[in-house]
Order: sequence, then structure tokens, then C-alpha cells
Amino acid sequence: MVALVSYIIVSAALLGIGIYGLSVKRNAIRILFAVEIIVNAANINFAAFTRYLNPPGVTGQVIVFYSIAASAMEAAVGLALILVAFRLNSSIDVRKMDKLKG
Amino acid sequence: MEVSLAVPPDAVFIVLTVITLLAAILALQAKELIYGAIALGVSFIGIAGFFILLDAPYLAMLQIAIYVGAVVVLILFTIMLVRRDVGEEVVERGERGESAAGLWIAGLLAVAIAGVAALAGPNLASSPPPGVLSVSDLGPVLVTEYPVPLIILALLLSAALLGALMLAKVER
Repeated sequence: MVALVSYIIVSAALLGIGIYGLSVKRNAIRILFAVEIIVNAANINFAAFTRYLNPPGVTGQVIVFYSIAASAMEAAVGLALILVAFRLNSSIDVRKMDKLKG
Repeated sequence: MEVSLAVPPDAVFIVLTVITLLAAILALQAKELIYGAIALGVSFIGIAGFFILLDAPYLAMLQIAIYVGAVVVLILFTIMLVRRDVGEEVVERGERGESAAGLWIAGLLAVAIAGVAALAGPNLASSPPPGVLSVSDLGPVLVTEYPVPLIILALLLSAALLGALMLAKVER
């Protein structure tokens, strides 16, 4: 059978990919991709831990349920923000969004 | 007649891992943003596969319905709306110098977490305890043990919907 460690390692790899995207990418939509990947890495951990260490309980699955709903609305609001930023700047390069800079 | 699963879960796990990780990398690195969005959808489907392996069919369904069905489609629409200027050559210039540093940070963090997990490996369960969870186990827990978070989530969803509408509204 698949060990719990395997799920943690996959989740850590996804987290690494997400953090790479978050710190390197300049395209706002790409950064949103990275955020979604990180949230999914966390979701895998919740589902795996609740399956392996808390067998009859479904608490982890409930948490993943909330997390999926929360990240769906985060994507909706984030994309609306990107649309507004594009309308104002005619660019979605996050390094160019420096209107508040002194 | 019982149809036995020909492939062991290990093989399924490895295939899902390869698909999910490659698709996640492709989502960030694809030249065209629109291919990146499709790769993100493939990665989400791979994660739904993990949920099925973890006896969480409801989460797998939710993952496909919400992420692949709603979030990825929303992202595709946004890409089409801002398309003119998101040509990658405009945005991705000047990323080269930063990508090495980002790779180091992300790689070190991932290796550290995986290493700690591997060191604790013997203490963690190596195989899932028997007992299958069904979708009907989830419903009662959701509405009897955690009703307040559910209501807060509903309020948050409507607030996010209104907020997104207000943001995207064109002033005239």
C-alpha cells in the first residue's frame, strides 16, 4: 500500500512548485495559478492525514470542503482584481503595479 | 462477478504523482498562458485522483466540479478578456535572474519538509487502516458537528460574489 509519507512528499513537491511560481512569476494570472497549487498541496495533506491517522473520522475532509470553497471565491475575487488592474494599467505585470510607491 | 483491480494502488499513485507534478510545472512554465491554464486543470484532475485513492470520493467530485469546472473556466475567460497584453514575451522578460533564487528557496523548502516527513516515517502509519468512508458519513458531520462554519462559509461566499461583481463592474 501507499505510505502516508508518500502523500506528504507529493504535497511538499507541490508546495515547492507553488512557492517557486509565487516568488518568480510576474504575470498576475500565473501568480494566481501558484496560489491555487499551494492550496491544493494543503488539501492533499488534510485528506491524507484524516484517512491514515483518524480512520473513522471525516474532520479532515470537512476542512478540505471549506478550503475548496474558500479558494474558489479567492479565485473569483482575484480574477476580478486582475481585470480591474488590467483596466487601470493595461498590463497585468505585478512589477508594474507600483502606483502607491512613493 | 467480482472484477479485481488489475493495477496495484502503488502504480496508480506513481502515475498520478507524475501527472500532477508535471502538469503543475507546465502550468507555471508553459509559453502560452492558455496552455498553462489547461495544464492547471489537468493537475487538479490528478489531485482528484489522489482524493479517490484516499477514500474521499466526495472531495474528488467537488474538486472536479469546482476547480476544473469553475475556477479553470473562470481563468480561461479572464485570459481571453485581457488577452491582448498578456503575451508572455511582454511579461516574462526579466524573470531569468530571479528564477534561480526562487528555485533555490522552493527546492530547499520542499526538500526540508519531505526530509522531516521521511525521518518521521516509521512513526507515521505506513498503510491506511481498514474501513471505507462513504459520502453519507460526511453529510451528518457537516451539518451536526460543524454547522456554524458552514453558515459562515455561505455568508463568505455571498460576500465574495458581491465583491467580485462590484470590482468588475464598469463605472460609467
